[in-house]
Amino acid sequence: MKVVVDGVTLDLPPGTSAIDAVFAAGSDVPYFCSQPYMSPIGACRMCLAKVGAPRKDRDGSWVLDEETGEPKIFWFPNLMATCTTAVMDGMVVDTRSEQVKAAQHGMVEFTLINHPLDCPVCDKGGACELQDRAYEYGEGLSRFVFDKRHQEKHHALSDLITLDRERCIHCKRCVRYFEEVPGDEVLDFIERGGHTYIGTLEEGLPSNFTGNITDICPVGALLDTTSRFRGRNWEYHHTETTSLDDASGSAIVVDGRTGRIERIKAGHQPEINKTWIDDGTRFGHEYADAPDRVRRPLVRHNGRLVETDWDDALGYVAARLRELNGRDVGVAIRADATLEEGVAARALADHLGSGQLDHAPRPAGGVIAPGGQARLQELAVAGAILVVGDVTEEVPIVDLRIKDALRGVTPPALFDHGAPIADLRLKERAPRRAEILTVAAPVRVDLMRHAGRSARYPAGGEHAFFRALTALAEGGTPDAEALGMPLEAATAAVAGLTKAETAVVVLGGWVLASLQATEAALHFCRAVGAKPMPLGPMANSYGLELVGVAPSHARYAYGGMLAGAKALILSQLDPAIDPAMAERLGQLELLVVHASFLTATAKLADVVLPAATGYEKDGTVVNLEGRMLPVRAAPVDAGEARDLTGLVKAFGEAAGQRLEGRSVKSARRWLKKSLGVDLDALPGLGAWAPAKRGPARVAVAAHEAPAHGGALRVPTMVRAEVLDRNPHLLAATGGLALGLHPDDAAELKLRAGDEVTVPVAGVPRRLVVRPSEAVPAGLATVPATPDEPVGLVPIDLKQIALERRALEVA
Amino acid sequence: MSVLDIAKGMGVTLGHLFKKPMTVQYPEQKAPVQARFRGRHHLLRHPDTGLEKCIGCSLCAAACPAYAIYVEAAENDPANPTSAGERYASIYEINMLRCIFCGMCEEACPTGAVVLGHEFELADFRYQDFVYGKEDMLVGVKGAKWQRREAAAKGKDVELGFTAPPRPELEGVGY
Repeated sequence: MKVVVDGVTLDLPPGTSAIDAVFAAGSDVPYFCSQPYMSPIGACRMCLAKVGAPRKDRDGSWVLDEETGEPKIFWFPNLMATCTTAVMDGMVVDTRSEQVKAAQHGMVEFTLINHPLDCPVCDKGGACELQDRAYEYGEGLSRFVFDKRHQEKHHALSDLITLDRERCIHCKRCVRYFEEVPGDEVLDFIERGGHTYIGTLEEGLPSNFTGNITDICPVGALLDTTSRFRGRNWEYHHTETTSLDDASGSAIVVDGRTGRIERIKAGHQPEINKTWIDDGTRFGHEYADAPDRVRRPLVRHNGRLVETDWDDALGYVAARLRELNGRDVGVAIRADATLEEGVAARALADHLGSGQLDHAPRPAGGVIAPGGQARLQELAVAGAILVVGDVTEEVPIVDLRIKDALRGVTPPALFDHGAPIADLRLKERAPRRAEILTVAAPVRVDLMRHAGRSARYPAGGEHAFFRALTALAEGGTPDAEALGMPLEAATAAVAGLTKAETAVVVLGGWVLASLQATEAALHFCRAVGAKPMPLGPMANSYGLELVGVAPSHARYAYGGMLAGAKALILSQLDPAIDPAMAERLGQLELLVVHASFLTATAKLADVVLPAATGYEKDGTVVNLEGRMLPVRAAPVDAGEARDLTGLVKAFGEAAGQRLEGRSVKSARRWLKKSLGVDLDALPGLGAWAPAKRGPARVAVAAHEAPAHGGALRVPTMVRAEVLDRNPHLLAATGGLALGLHPDDAAELKLRAGDEVTVPVAGVPRRLVVRPSEAVPAGLATVPATPDEPVGLVPIDLKQIALERRALEVA
Repeated sequence: MSVLDIAKGMGVTLGHLFKKPMTVQYPEQKAPVQARFRGRHHLLRHPDTGLEKCIGCSLCAAACPAYAIYVEAAENDPANPTSAGERYASIYEINMLRCIFCGMCEEACPTGAVVLGHEFELADFRYQDFVYGKEDMLVGVKGAKWQRREAAAKGKDVELGFTAPPRPELEGVGY
């Protein structure tokens, strides 16, 4: 469609909004209420422009201007809000006339009437849309001489979000966000006119995605409590990187100041997280600045760990390793290590000549589906989705992309100025296609609220569940009990998956924990023609499987290595939380622990090497859909902490060798040679990982965990292993929860909020009792950590010890 | 240039030979400074409530051409506030070695909290002694760090080596 904006002629697709036409033409209109990926509503009236269009006569020909002979432009009687106006063929938009300027001055003055002038103390100051627009489009003077509106200045909407009601300009972005994006309607306008304020009737903000409203608030009304007053916007050092919090590969911006991470904001990855991140990713960074970080290497002298430097520590390790046979040394890294670190770990194991190399947690079924997996953009347009697991906690961004699919609006095409500012296809309170979504889990999960069908199969019954579904798909008789839902519902779900053009089966950790269940799931996907989407347990599970950080034999996998190796080099893993394992580790000939904190394992180690957290390293990760994404180091003061490549370099030097993977650069050379990927030239939006796998090593299934017991280890959005060091998240979540059915809790004489210690698979866990109908009777849920991956494990509720009784609320 | 012009110039020199010398026997004698002279900073308080004027907004640090100022803010305890409003400066430091005494911080301050005073005797021995914190600059503190150190050691009052007329922005901070 031909559109003329301020004399610039454009050709735009129908359905484009006039505001995007204005930006595409290089012109500018101010706006507050529009927000990419959300419905335009024309609430702020800032984007007014003079709009006109030619008109057709009754005979279908253009009405012509008598003087020029060109089609005559009929101007709309009033200025139009460009965000809610669709372009028409021949439309003319004028953003520069005196009439438009007068309207812009007037709207800025009107918006500022009730806006307090506390910019110097406002955390948004310097990055505030209202401040910028007032400067660009205001007249600089106000005729309003009366008292401004006075409302609450610091209302805690939740433990993580502070609301300043005086600053709110009623753009409705936050209200719309909750309804449209996560689908949790927790905020709304209360009162009307000048008295309108934002409020909630809930206790806090019950959603996994609350922090995003602080990013989209155009003023300083909604603020991130964790970073309140920590610094001004121009003082922060912004690092655009990829989150290592979960497997989604969400783009984040780490804002640091004087060597500390002060806050994390969402980055823009149109094909992954768009501009949204979950609260675990946003607020879960405080551990990186915890005072008890290991900042210098420690070496055991006379039974005590003594601070030293890297040269000394690694010289000691090299000397001790010379006494040992390299084949008896096990190397294990956590699955959020970068690709480059994976290469370094491989190089280290190769140097030692050891087959005992693994990453953990590594699900038995693997996370790379043979034949390819669904991509997030495919998930967002899928016609039928089956979710087995708790995605909202496991990889929350997948939950949001499923909700995109429920809205049935395809992801928008990008303009030169980014995602459309006003996508006219998006509507407030749009109907959701709940019928395309089926959610199955042993417990009630959050996504079931949005699902047309939900199934609650018996815990540990993933294999049977998929076998029953496959039987349905292939016309057999299913085991009705294994389905956990009525037969008609299951039939409809299977029919939907078979019929849909794009069907996706999301496989959560409970499925991947078992090789049998994964194979049954993949078999089912083939039977119905759906694409699987395995959710890796950690940020780089896909990548480490790709480069082959895997043992040469099944008995050398992580579990076997812990039981059999004579010496261990562990990066960021903490197996000693299990007292039986701690005893075994104490008897090792050499234990080298690369860790950020003095964990239970580090306390037993001969050498502790300080490890960089996910915010402090450069590298690459591969997210759950197989997209390689850049990780960049934020300026964090972490003492002498290094990532694994640094360790391998220093290690090689101590042994007098230049190992591959001794630096990010060297690891990338190896990746280029063996996988054919050039990571130095990785575009900001990432690139698809090659189908080819790393050479040599045989990837084998990890030891399959026995699927029995009374406790289900569940994924959590917040990282359970560092929750203690994230004070704000700890307060917001109330600690790690022991989920029990209310009847079971009553039988054990436990109240909500009681702090207990209970052995779960041999590991004593300190948990807070949280009775909930979501948990079936006879089952307990406990949070999973990297060392205690998701799955069904034994629990001894008879040995539960009450640590502190919750205060009784009358 | 004529002989007459040279004679005029020499005349000026000759005239000064008979004038009273400008030399001040500093430090025995106090040097007078102008009211607008820019020396060491003062952090003011509200005269009526005694609360600090500084709200920790960091605009002085942003305006500083020498990057001499570091501010860290914190939230006021409503029951026992440090400053008026929500936030106050928990750390306010100026590196006097970096400072060029241009007065931009004073210009930028939205509350008139930081004002350049007249103290110029800031020479000291150790680098860290040039970083002045709130305790060194809050109104009422007299003298540079070394002057207070010496005065405390001798048990005497701080003696400044200059006199200055009052400056209205200093709200009565006298010497």
